Amino acid sequence: MSPLNPDTSLSRICATKRTTIYRDMVLMAAGFLALIPLLAMHRVTDFMIFCIFVMSFDLLYGYMGRLSFGQMLYLGTGVYVSTLFSLHFNPNPILSLMAGVVGGAIVAGILGLIVVGLEGASFALTNLAFNQVGFFLIGSAFQKVTQGEDGISAGVEPWGFLDLANEHVAFGFVLLCLLFTFYMLRILTSSPYGIIIRSIKENETRVKFLGYNTFFYKWLTFVLAGAFAALAGTLYTLYVGFVSPVFIHPMNNVDVIFAALIGGAGNLFGAIIGGVLFMAMKDTLSTHIPQWEWILGLLLLVIVFWLRGGVTGLIKSLRDFLRARMSRGPVAEVKKG
Amino acid sequence: MIQTLLYGLTTGAILYFFAIGLSITFGTMQIINFAHAMVYALGAYFLITFLPILQGFFPLAALFAILAIIPIAYVMERFVIRRLYGESLDYAMIATFALLLIGTDVIKWIWGNTPQPVTDPIGVSFQLFGIDLPLYRAVIVTMAFAVFAGLNLFFKKSIVGKIVIAALEDTEGVRCLGLNVDKYFSIVFILGSALAVLGGVLYAPISSAEPYMGFDILLIAFAVVIVGGMGNLTGTFISAFVLGMVIALTGRYYSQAADTMVFVVMAAVLIFRRSDA
Repeated sequence: MSPLNPDTSLSRICATKRTTIYRDMVLMAAGFLALIPLLAMHRVTDFMIFCIFVMSFDLLYGYMGRLSFGQMLYLGTGVYVSTLFSLHFNPNPILSLMAGVVGGAIVAGILGLIVVGLEGASFALTNLAFNQVGFFLIGSAFQKVTQGEDGISAGVEPWGFLDLANEHVAFGFVLLCLLFTFYMLRILTSSPYGIIIRSIKENETRVKFLGYNTFFYKWLTFVLAGAFAALAGTLYTLYVGFVSPVFIHPMNNVDVIFAALIGGAGNLFGAIIGGVLFMAMKDTLSTHIPQWEWILGLLLLVIVFWLRGGVTGLIKSLRDFLRARMSRGPVAEVKKG
Repeated sequence: MIQTLLYGLTTGAILYFFAIGLSITFGTMQIINFAHAMVYALGAYFLITFLPILQGFFPLAALFAILAIIPIAYVMERFVIRRLYGESLDYAMIATFALLLIGTDVIKWIWGNTPQPVTDPIGVSFQLFGIDLPLYRAVIVTMAFAVFAGLNLFFKKSIVGKIVIAALEDTEGVRCLGLNVDKYFSIVFILGSALAVLGGVLYAPISSAEPYMGFDILLIAFAVVIVGGMGNLTGTFISAFVLGMVIALTGRYYSQAADTMVFVVMAAVLIFRRSDA
C-alpha cells in the first residue's frame, strides 16, 4: 500500500529491532513491579492505566503535533460504553473492554471527520467543545441511563480466572494492556506510517506535495488515539467498577497534557515517565497541600520556557553533554535538544 | 419573551467584553490566551475589595478595578506572553493555562472558595410592554454598544489603532516599516485585559464572584471568537450577541443545554467554513 521504496534509507530509519522493543518492555514491566513496594499495588495499577491514556494523547500531540484539549472525551466514551455494555448486554470483562474500545474508535471516527481538517487553536478548542458536549450528554441529558453526577456501578463479573476485583489479577491484566499499547504504538510510530505522521508535524504541506493524503493519515491517527484512550477508560471501568462524569470532565484534560509534557512529548518513554511522575506528584501534593494547582502551573511554565524536552529530553541532553565531554574534552559545544 | 431577549443581549454584551481581548490577542500575537479568564475573575474580586472602601459607589469601584489590572496585565505581557511570540501555538496555550491555574489558586488563597454576591448597583427596573425589566441589564447592553463604537473609532482613527489593524493583516509587513510592533501589542493586550475586567465587574452583580467564574465564560468566549473569526472585530461583536441569544433562548426551554448549544452552533459553523482556520 505504501508508496515508500523499501530500499531507500527510510527503511533503515523505520526498522526498529524487535529485540530492542522486547528489552524495553521487560524493563518497563520491571520498573512497574519495582514501584509496588514504594506505593500500594492498587495505586500502581491506577498509574499504569493513566500511562496508557498519556500514550494515546502522545500519539496525537507528540508524534503528529496536534494538541487536543478534548482527549478526555474518548476516555469517557470508553468508560461509559463499557459500563453500559456490562450492565445491559453482557457482564463479560473482555467483551465489555472490546465494546468500550470500539465505541471510542467510532466516536473518534465520526468527530474526527470534522475536527481533523482544523489546525492549531481551532483543533484544540473544537475538541474541547466536543468534550464539553459529551460531558453534558453524560452528566445531564442522559441522566436516566447514566445516573448523572451520582455515578453508576459497572456490572462486570469475573470470567474464568480473570477476576478484576482481585488486586493481583488486575495488576497483571493492566500491565499486559500497557505493554500491548506500548508495543503497538512503538511498531506503528516506527513504521512508514509513523514517519508520515511525524512529517505532518514538521510540515504538512510538503507531505501533501509528496502525494500523501494527509487528511486520511490525520484521521487514522485521531481514531487510533481515541481507541487507545478508550482502552484506558474501559480499564478504569473494569478496575474501579464505579464510574461518574469525572471520567469525562473537560478540566481533566490538563492532567494528560501536563503528563505528556513533563515526560517529554513525542516519545513513548516520556509518556510513561510523565504519567508516573504526574500521578506520584498529584498523590503527594494533594495529600499535603490543599491547593496544589499553582505548583502545577509553575512547573508548566518552567517546562515551556526552559525544559521543552521534559524529563526524557533532559536525560538525553545530559547524556549528549557527557558524551561530548568524553570525546572532545571540556570545550566541546553542546547543542541543547 | 422580552425578558429572555434582554437576558440574551446582556449575556452577549458580557461575552463581547470578554471575547474582544481574546480575539485581538489571537489576531495580532497568534496567542490563545487562557489567562484572560484569570483577569476576568480578578476584576470581579477587585470590585468586591474596592466597594466597601468606596462606600458602595459602584462606578468608581469598577474604574479602580480596571486600573488595578493594568500593572498585572503589563507584567503578564512582558514576562510571559512576549516570550511566546512566534512560538508554536501549543506552548502559548499551555503557558497561559499555567498562568490561569496559578491565578485561580491565588484568588482562592486571598478571597476564599465561596462565591461572593454583589448587589445590583442600580436596583431599579423599567417597564417595557408592561413587563418589569432590570435597568442594570439595559445599561450593560448600552455599554457594549458604546464600547463597540469606541473601539471602532480607536482602530480607525487613532494611530495606535491603525498600526494594530495593519498588524492584524500582516505583522511582518508592519515590522518592516520600522515600527516597534511589540510595543503596540502590549498596548492592545492591556486594553483587552481592561475590557475583560469590565466584563467581570459588570457580570458580578448578575451572578456572584467565584474563583472559577472565568473558566465558565472562557469556553463560550472561545466559541464566540471561532464563530466570529479570530481577529475579526466586527465578527466578534456580532457572534457574541448571536451566541448570547442562543444561550438565553435555549436556557428558556432547557437550561442545562444552554452552554452545549453554543458548541453545537460552533461545530456547525466550523463544518460549513472549512477553509478558515
